[in-house]
Amino acid sequence: MRAGWKTAAIAGLGLWASGCKGLDMSKVAGGVDTVMGTTAATKQQREACKKFNVEPTVTEEYAIGSAMAIHWVQGGGGLMPAADTAQAAATVHGIHQYLNVVGKNLAAQSARPTLEWTFGIINDREHFNAVSSPGGYVFVTRRMLADLDNEAQLAGVLAHEIAHVVLKHSIQQYNAAKVDLCQATVTAEGFIPGSGQFIVTGGSSGNLDLDGDPALLGNLAEKALGIFEKGNDHAQEFAADQMAVKLMMSAGYDPAEYRALLAKTQDSSSIGSRHPKKAERVKRITAFLGTVKDASGEFSELSLEGLSSPPLAPALVAAVRGPGSGVAKDGR
Amino acid sequence: MAMRTKATWVAAMLALAVPSAASVVKVDGELYVKAKNTRVMESSLPTANVVTVLQPGEVVTWKGADPKDKRWHQVNTKSGKRGFVFQSNLSTTAPNMELVVDDKSKASRKVNPAGFVASGAAVKALSPGAVEYGNKKGGNHQRAVGQLQGLERVAKDVTPATIAEHVKEAGLFPVVGASATAKSSTKSPAPASKSKGGT
Repeated sequence: MRAGWKTAAIAGLGLWASGCKGLDMSKVAGGVDTVMGTTAATKQQREACKKFNVEPTVTEEYAIGSAMAIHWVQGGGGLMPAADTAQAAATVHGIHQYLNVVGKNLAAQSARPTLEWTFGIINDREHFNAVSSPGGYVFVTRRMLADLDNEAQLAGVLAHEIAHVVLKHSIQQYNAAKVDLCQATVTAEGFIPGSGQFIVTGGSSGNLDLDGDPALLGNLAEKALGIFEKGNDHAQEFAADQMAVKLMMSAGYDPAEYRALLAKTQDSSSIGSRHPKKAERVKRITAFLGTVKDASGEFSELSLEGLSSPPLAPALVAAVRGPGSGVAKDGR
Repeated sequence: MAMRTKATWVAAMLALAVPSAASVVKVDGELYVKAKNTRVMESSLPTANVVTVLQPGEVVTWKGADPKDKRWHQVNTKSGKRGFVFQSNLSTTAPNMELVVDDKSKASRKVNPAGFVASGAAVKALSPGAVEYGNKKGGNHQRAVGQLQGLERVAKDVTPATIAEHVKEAGLFPVVGASATAKSSTKSPAPASKSKGGT
């Protein structure tokens, strides 16, 4: 999941050209007005850029997450559209509502229960994939929904993406983008549109007012997505898998369906090459489930009792697999 | 460039840190409530009354699992009430409590866990900077902005009561409570017997 969905949005990488808060970076060094001009000074300033590798504020996270979410929706052909008739529009509204009920139930049991989570269906009918962005945006492709067998598998997809948000994996990509842009700016020794605020108001905290500089926000979102295209590394995927299984069990879903879900994914991909093989992921999940047991006298958060696999909402199944959906059940 | 911030967004971080590694909690140890509208029941029976309702981040003292149904756990609340809480509602680690509130003030303010549910002002929408960025890009980006804003309205309309109703129908665990108050909150029946007995 996650990587493997190439978005047209990524093709537009580059610096936003219409920013008005650009600054002559040759006169800025780590928030003070040191004049550059020597290799040593440049090296020092590039090193100072690492101050941007910090925990973002919630507002900063929402901003970068919002911009990334716009790219996911744009690159995936938009959200599943409301059709022409009122009845069809109500159906699409209903399945988006259903997706949010299932997703928000899981998210409420995560370590970030107070985020305002938003779940959506991307209109992409070709790729079996799901993505997320900071701040609590989770998207599933229409194609993936068409291939799910039950609500537990849907919960598994959503829980995996919730886990990436909870564990702030995309924040690592965002931070890398911040540091990269800062270092590029220092090296360029020239006018970089949209990046003046980046350095000046970044100050010692390393946090940014992205809403105050949409040009910079766009730069960073596109750079972060460029890094994202390489896929999450193995450790991040394993961690997201384990948290997903925990969330499923917490809500009452049978985690066996998570393994069934992984079986539907493909190992080979032109991008996301850092993703682990599904056999290894299944092996680790099985090993984790083997550790779930009641310890006498100690509180246990998880149990294997009473877990179930309820069916998917019929309206969702009909909408993504029905006539005109353009999705072949086994056409993966 | 004009800063078209519709509202002042203030991040109010509760004094609860990033989750740490899970720790072992024994009887009389402390546990954290992790889900909205967590109900403390008189007993683990399906017909039991609600004693009180707790919110994420509140701390309870663990008194052990109910011998009749080990998925229910006896707890004491900080306000001195006793009762039973479903297993999934409790955690050995504190949740993160991140709120963005539209209070027209740049001053950070802290919110206690019990006050979380009353934070009707807690808002998140596509950020103003992102909206401006997407709209300036135009074309499909601008269309995506509009679609996301509509999607956020759908998500916002999904309440804990909606979730609780679905969970009841699907036979899942009764974790998120329908109501923030004990008077109007009733216990969901035990999950339907669709158990596959684990994996």
